[in-house]
Amino acid sequence: MAEKSLPKINPVDRPYWQGAAAGKLLLQKCKACGKLQFFPRVVCVDCFCTDLDWVQAKGEGKVHSFSWVFVPRNPAFKEEVPICYATIVLDEGVILESRIVGGRMREVKLGDRVKVTFQETASPEIRLPVFELAS
Amino acid sequence: MRRKKVCFVSYGSTEYSRKSEEPLLRHYAQAIGNALDQTGLKKSDIQGFSVTTQASPDYSPHVAEQLGLELDWVLNGDYGGAGGVMSVRRAADAIEAGHVDLVVLVGGNSFDKSVAHQRPLEYQRANYVDVYGYGGPNTLMALIQRLHMEQYGTTLEQIGKIAVAQRANACENPQALLRDPMTMADYLNSRMISDPIRLFDCVMPCSGAECIVLASEEKAKQITDKLVYLVTDAEKVHYQIANMLPDKTTFGTKVVGERLFAEVKREDIDLFEIYDDYPIAVLIQIEDLGYCSKGEGGKFVEAHDLTCKGDFPVNTGGGQLSMGQAGLAGGFLHIVEALRQLRGEAVGHQVQKAERALVTGIGWLNYGRNLGTTAGLVMERRA
Repeated sequence: MAEKSLPKINPVDRPYWQGAAAGKLLLQKCKACGKLQFFPRVVCVDCFCTDLDWVQAKGEGKVHSFSWVFVPRNPAFKEEVPICYATIVLDEGVILESRIVGGRMREVKLGDRVKVTFQETASPEIRLPVFELAS
Repeated sequence: MRRKKVCFVSYGSTEYSRKSEEPLLRHYAQAIGNALDQTGLKKSDIQGFSVTTQASPDYSPHVAEQLGLELDWVLNGDYGGAGGVMSVRRAADAIEAGHVDLVVLVGGNSFDKSVAHQRPLEYQRANYVDVYGYGGPNTLMALIQRLHMEQYGTTLEQIGKIAVAQRANACENPQALLRDPMTMADYLNSRMISDPIRLFDCVMPCSGAECIVLASEEKAKQITDKLVYLVTDAEKVHYQIANMLPDKTTFGTKVVGERLFAEVKREDIDLFEIYDDYPIAVLIQIEDLGYCSKGEGGKFVEAHDLTCKGDFPVNTGGGQLSMGQAGLAGGFLHIVEALRQLRGEAVGHQVQKAERALVTGIGWLNYGRNLGTTAGLVMERRA
């Protein structure tokens, strides 16, 4: 029986996952040029500075695109199909990939406002940032 | 612009099969053998060797050892779907630089149980994509297709026309695995995989290999009288990577096209072998190459006949969508088909005027954007 995929936390993104576990959505911010970026990396993708800070995003944004997944790559997710896999543009101006959950997810349209929420996983240390349609 | 000194001299394909218990090495050997036989080359003529595959650990020196190749140049051409075009570029560089006169390039895939399809750990994909239950490339391309449909009014019928036209081409191509006629209704009614991507938007994984032989002009003239030149080529890797608000519906192919068409006239291309992991990707590349403006791809497709008999022939042998995708051989298939056309050997699906072909490759769907690798080349038959 396949298990649902969990992140393999590494030294670079440990703060991100610790933040998520505490209910915070963290982005990297370059200390030199101020650029925000996601996903976590070892350098700023703009100026290549290695001195990166973590800042908390508001956790609000809008739906950029989405797909209803009927055939997940990992069969462990089959029980949840269709999964609403989405790209979200945060108000801070950063794109990220996640999924849309919640009772109203079937109504999703491009441009809809969304808000982050944190989903429990099989691991007590890991909560996944996912999004719900904002009321 | 290439200094017009590098030519394609031969090609070889294996038969494709849905599943194969054959070791991948046997597919390589067969495709290479066919390419050598086509022009009477011997194994000892191979000076340089490139392997493109996702089936690690089949790195090129390992494959060369298995095939008994003593070499002066070797390459792992692993750039996703752009691996065919990008490997040709590197081989041409080596020939131009004088390192070697002749390079054999092979790409392939097998369902061989002894070779696990392991990829190097994809750090971002494991931690930020897999965890949400995504559906692989089907989902990532679905995000792009939905945006294109919503932003530009592109319809499923316009996208489906590409799949249907390619199937019509495949019906005339004995090498294609999928040769049952396909109607628009078949396309529209095919099973939903990752909405709006349907089953007939997806390539069918299969086993097989494709091989290309590239040589210096001097060497090429000793080998064949059907000279096909590599005219110009370009690539763009991780276009828009530092842009946190990327335009998902524009690929690096836009930059590739600008570079190619600085050297060759857009209207002088006779046929288009456009990397077709999905029909929407073909449509977007037609836009990015400048055959119409961004967002007009749907209307362009509607206005043209895309079959091998048409005014804008695309993927004349059926492409990966109808021939099957033997892993990263998929990025060689388009070059091999262009060679067949330019040499006048595309029996049953020959384009009438086939002097100049454009080939593209795209690959490595990346995080939040679209394609990590994009590449293109123009090849030309000269007497």
